[in-house]
Amino acid sequence: MASAENPSRERILGRIRAAVASKGSHHDGPVGQIFTPVTDPLERFQKECVANITECTVTANTAASAAAIAGVLASLPAGEIFVQDAPQLRALVSGIKDGRPLRWSSEGPPNEASQATITLCEALVAQTGSVLVSAANGGRQATVIAPAHIVFAKLDQLVPDLEAAFARVYERGIASKNSYVCLITGSSRTADIEKILIMGAHGPRRLIVVLQTG
Amino acid sequence: MSTAAEVFEQKAAEKSADLVHRGIVRWNIDQYDIGVGKGKTRFADWEAARQRCHDIKWEGVNHLDKYLLKFEQKVKENGGHVFWAENGEEARRYICEVAKRGGVKKVVKSKSMVSEEIHLAQALEKIGVEVVETDLGEFIVQLRNEPPYHIVTPAMHLNRKQVSDLFKEKLGSEETLDPPELVAIARRWLRKSFFSAEMGISGANFIIADAGMVTITTNEGNGRLSTSVPRIHVALTGIEKVIPRLQDLATLWPTLATAGTGQPITCYNTLMGGARRPGEVDGPEEFHVVLVDNGRSELLADLEQREVLYCIRCGACINACPVFRNIGGHAYGVTYPGPIGAVLEPRLLGLPEYQHLSFASSLCGACTDVCPVHIELHHHLLQNRRNAIRAGTHPARERLGMKVWRWIMSSARRFRFFGWLGRTAMRVIHGLGLEGTALDPMRPWTKARAAPVMPRESFRAMWRQQNGVR
Repeated sequence: MASAENPSRERILGRIRAAVASKGSHHDGPVGQIFTPVTDPLERFQKECVANITECTVTANTAASAAAIAGVLASLPAGEIFVQDAPQLRALVSGIKDGRPLRWSSEGPPNEASQATITLCEALVAQTGSVLVSAANGGRQATVIAPAHIVFAKLDQLVPDLEAAFARVYERGIASKNSYVCLITGSSRTADIEKILIMGAHGPRRLIVVLQTG
Repeated sequence: MSTAAEVFEQKAAEKSADLVHRGIVRWNIDQYDIGVGKGKTRFADWEAARQRCHDIKWEGVNHLDKYLLKFEQKVKENGGHVFWAENGEEARRYICEVAKRGGVKKVVKSKSMVSEEIHLAQALEKIGVEVVETDLGEFIVQLRNEPPYHIVTPAMHLNRKQVSDLFKEKLGSEETLDPPELVAIARRWLRKSFFSAEMGISGANFIIADAGMVTITTNEGNGRLSTSVPRIHVALTGIEKVIPRLQDLATLWPTLATAGTGQPITCYNTLMGGARRPGEVDGPEEFHVVLVDNGRSELLADLEQREVLYCIRCGACINACPVFRNIGGHAYGVTYPGPIGAVLEPRLLGLPEYQHLSFASSLCGACTDVCPVHIELHHHLLQNRRNAIRAGTHPARERLGMKVWRWIMSSARRFRFFGWLGRTAMRVIHGLGLEGTALDPMRPWTKARAAPVMPRESFRAMWRQQNGVR
C-alpha cells in the first residue's frame, strides 16, 4: 500500500515511536519451568488423545495402517472421500478396497459433501495431543470440511512439546512455505449454550490419527 | 436524553435484581471456575507461565514500531495488504471499499471484538452487504440484535429454551431443548453461508512479527472456514496484538486457552500469512490485515497504563469480577465489559462520559490476581478515578460533598458532633419506619438493603467505657 493511500500509517507510527522511546515498567516474577517435560512422547500423545477426543490408532506397518483406515471408512456413510495427493497416501489408499469415489487434492479442493478427508501432517505434538497441519496437507479445507478427518503420521513426526513443534516449524520453513498452518487439538466443539460441551460444531466431528511406528 | 452513567446505573440496578439472570451467570461462571481450576494443574508452574506471557507482551508492546514494521514487511513480501487505521471510521471505510471492489454481497465473520468496537457490521450492511456471524454465541446474539454479552462467551446470558425459541422465530426450526440439536441447526444454517460468502472477516488473537502471520483461536472451526472458503480474507485487529516470535505461542496458546475456558489448548489455533500461494489447493485470493489504532497509541504514550495493551482478551478478569457476576455484560453499555472494559473503555471512548465505569468497582483486586499477563487492573481503575477527579469532570454535588467531608474530618470536635447527629438522625428515621423511603438520606444504600440500627453511643465512647482509657 503506497503511503499516499494510507496517510495514517506514518501518523500512527510517529506516535508509537515517540511513545516507546521510554520503556514501560516490567513485572518481575518467577521464571521457572512452565510445563513438566514430556518423557514418553508416544504414551503422552495417546493419553492426550483420549482426553481431547481424538481417535488414535497405533499401527506397526503400512498394511496395518491401511486396515485401520479401511475400518474407519467402513464406519462412515456412503459418499466421496478426499485424499491429499501424496505418494505415501497413494500407496496406502491403493490397498483399500472400499469402492467409494475418491477425490485427490491435485483435482482441487474437497467437495462440501465429502464424508471424510485423509491427509498427512507436519507434526504430532505429544504435550497436547495435537496435529500440526499446513496448506501442504491437501489445502485449507482438507482438514476442516468433512465430518471425519483421518490423519496418517509416522512416529518420527511425533515431537514432545509445543516448543519442539515450533523448532520444527522454523527448521523446515513450514510457516514461510505455507500461507496457512493449523494446530488441531481434538475435534470441533462448542460450549456456547449453557457451557455444555457439544462435538462437531463446524469442523470434523471425528478426528482420527493413524500413527505408524514401523 | 440520559447520560451513559445514568443508563448504566439503571441497568445495573435492574440486572442485579433479576434473579433468573444472576442464576444463569452464576452457573456459567461456576462451570468456568471448575474448568480453570483443573486446567491450571496441567502447568508445572502457572506463575511462570503468567510471567512468560507478561515478558512476551512487554517485549512486543514496548517495541511496537519495530515489530509491526517487521510484520508488515513479511505480509507484503507474501503479497498481502496491510492497512493502518487511525480510528473506526478509517477501518470501516477501507473494508467497505475492499468489499465493493470485490463485488461482495455476503460476509462471514468469525469472532472479532475489534469489529464490535468499530461497529463494522452496521457499516457493511449500510452498503448492502449481508453480514453473518459464524461463532455460535455471536450468531445467537446477532439474531437477537444484541451486542455480545461477554468477550469469550457472547451468549452466556441465555439458556437453551431461549435459544430454541429464537431459532424457531428467526430460522423457522423445530422447538428443541437438546443442545446438540440446537448446534446442528446452527451448523446447517451457517454452512450455506460459508460457501456463498465472498469475504471472510476474522480478528487476530496475536500478530506474529517474525513470521508475518496472524493467528486466530477457535473451538468450533468457524474461524477456519471463514478464512479458507471465501475469495477475500480480511483480518481486523488492534495494533497492540503483535508478538515478536512464532515460538512465543508455545506459551501463549495454552495460557490463553486455560485462562479463557480452562482448556489445555484451544481446538484450532490457526496461522495465516497471506492469500493462496501458487501450488496451494485452496485459500482466498486476497489477504488484507487492518491494524486499528483507535486510541491505543495514546494509551501507549501513558507509561502508567501502557500495560493495559498487554491484554490478550481471555476474559478471566470479567469472570472473576463480583460486579460482572451481579450486573452481567450488557449493563456496561460498552464493547468490553468487566474490569478490562472499565479500564479500557473510558480511555477509548473519552474519559468524561465513561468515567463512571472506573468507579463501578469494589477494587477487590480479583481481576489483578487472575490476569494471565499481570495487568494491575485495580490500580488502573484507581488511576482513571484520579484522572477524572483531576480533570474536574465529576459532578459538582460530589465535589461539594467531599469538601464538607474534609471540613468535618479535620476537626475532632466537628467529627464528634456530626457523628452524634448522624447516629441520632438515623435512629429517628429507623424509629419512624422511614428506612429506605424517599425521606431517608441513606436511601441509595437502604432501598435494597437492611441497615443495622445505629447504636446510641459512638465507638470512642464505648471504647472508653470498656477500657477506661482516653
